Amino acid sequence: MLSESNVDPKVIEEILKFSKNVIDAPKLVSAPDEINLEVTPHEVVQEIDKTRLLHYKPLVETKYKTPLLISYALINRYHILDIHPEKSWVKNLLEQGFEVYMLDWGTPTSMDKYLDFDDYVNGYLDASVEFIKNQTSTENISLQGYCTGATIATAYTALHPENVKNYVATAPVIDGWKDTTVISNLAKHMDADKMVDIIGNMPPEFMYYCFSVLKPFEQGIEKYIKFFKNIDDKKYVDNFLRVEKWLGDTPPIPGELFKQWIKDIYQKNLLIQNQMYVGDELVNLKNIDMPMFTQVAVGDHLVSPECSMPLHYAVGSEDKILKIYPTGHVGMIASSLSQKKVLPEMGKWLAERS
Amino acid sequence: MVSSNSSETLNDPSVETIDYYKHLSLFWTDIIHLMSSKPQALTSIGPMRAFAANSKKISVELIEINEKLFEFNKYMTEYYNQLSTTWGIAQKKVNLKVPEIPQDVEQIESVKRIWIDIFDNDFTELFDSKKFGDNYGNLVSKELELTKHWNNITNVILQSVNLPSKEEIDEVYKEIHSLKKRVSKLELKLKKEKRKNAE
Repeated sequence: MLSESNVDPKVIEEILKFSKNVIDAPKLVSAPDEINLEVTPHEVVQEIDKTRLLHYKPLVETKYKTPLLISYALINRYHILDIHPEKSWVKNLLEQGFEVYMLDWGTPTSMDKYLDFDDYVNGYLDASVEFIKNQTSTENISLQGYCTGATIATAYTALHPENVKNYVATAPVIDGWKDTTVISNLAKHMDADKMVDIIGNMPPEFMYYCFSVLKPFEQGIEKYIKFFKNIDDKKYVDNFLRVEKWLGDTPPIPGELFKQWIKDIYQKNLLIQNQMYVGDELVNLKNIDMPMFTQVAVGDHLVSPECSMPLHYAVGSEDKILKIYPTGHVGMIASSLSQKKVLPEMGKWLAERS
Repeated sequence: MVSSNSSETLNDPSVETIDYYKHLSLFWTDIIHLMSSKPQALTSIGPMRAFAANSKKISVELIEINEKLFEFNKYMTEYYNQLSTTWGIAQKKVNLKVPEIPQDVEQIESVKRIWIDIFDNDFTELFDSKKFGDNYGNLVSKELELTKHWNNITNVILQSVNLPSKEEIDEVYKEIHSLKKRVSKLELKLKKEKRKNAE
């Protein structure tokens, strides 16, 4: 029977090779737990509650007076901005001569369930900015926010414009009603009050669910087939495992912050309408009057360009630029495109204003 | 017998049956509780007395968990129904595009690509739809209600052994948060003023 089959012998060969790769994989590659995601040397210069302010050690002589603080997202951890020596966002900026700080939000516990937007914006972020101003003897800093970190940074910039010399918003979550992603659909149908009342912080398991509905077959099947097919390619495998480890490590989100996030951004869409309150202060985007650079990715399936771009038109800045890149949410910050195009453009823009 | 004034309830035999068993269960729980609490009080000391007194609360929670499970299962069934219907439709689309079994490596690769693209598109469309969002929202809501009952049972047990309940711990967390917030705002204000004065 087998001899009469029309199956190409190469197919059998491919199946056997794939099976061999699966068996050999543990001998060839490290387990994700064994991979250290801390790439660029840094020191922790300030710790408040669970948050840490990281200061990256200069790789070349610092060329610009204004330091840059990066406000990373609340989902997953800051490591994606320094994931691999060849794709590190932080390393690239250091090599361009910038002084770089990063705010690590840490891992909230049950005790932190009452932390809200006010704590993040007027507490942790403001304390970091003040620390940097003090350390570097500068009047103000450059601030970059990524994803949900850009929402916090946007609110901060609107409330404390005197502290921000230049603002870079990378894939910011701004206009929840215009967001066309699956995440936005889930958020709009969520009873955030009930969730926080009963379980407190937003658990990581729930975040994993939300991510699993994004391109489930490409991300859930094809990606791993490619991994085993390329098991001999050290560079590919190393990068793959680093990103996988990063994806699998997401901290819980404090309950009150999550509640305000879902209700004010996705359900009521208050931020873009200048109706959102942080603490007892109204956030008016028109107060953002310093130079601003908005970066969006056309293929972003986590924060759609429609959700981010309204920020560019809502602020009061006259010196502002909007760039749309042909990549995705992670591709914009950790890819060869980010190294060759996104970062040089941002660096040039910042350099002229720092 | 159980009393029910709602005409809708009277017309629905399944609701009548559930109410009947709920009533039956509560009746016997109450009676047994009343019958047993006095002898228990005599024979027990310390925290076990409190546990005996709280046994009714646990029974009520368990009965309500059963009711919620019924609704949870309804939304869960709909959830899997939506997934399997979408799977079926996507597979039909793949079958139409790929009528023949692939024979070589290139063909297998292109069939795989077609399969992934069609499945990703159809499932993304589902996850993006209002009907999925509504049902998923209800499903999560019911799951949370089940968790709430579980928390309530845990609270009864915690209090029976003189430990603080979840709500009491939450009050402490809230107080700590409020104090920390006030202190850190004062510290920040002080730092800013010091810096201003130094300049």
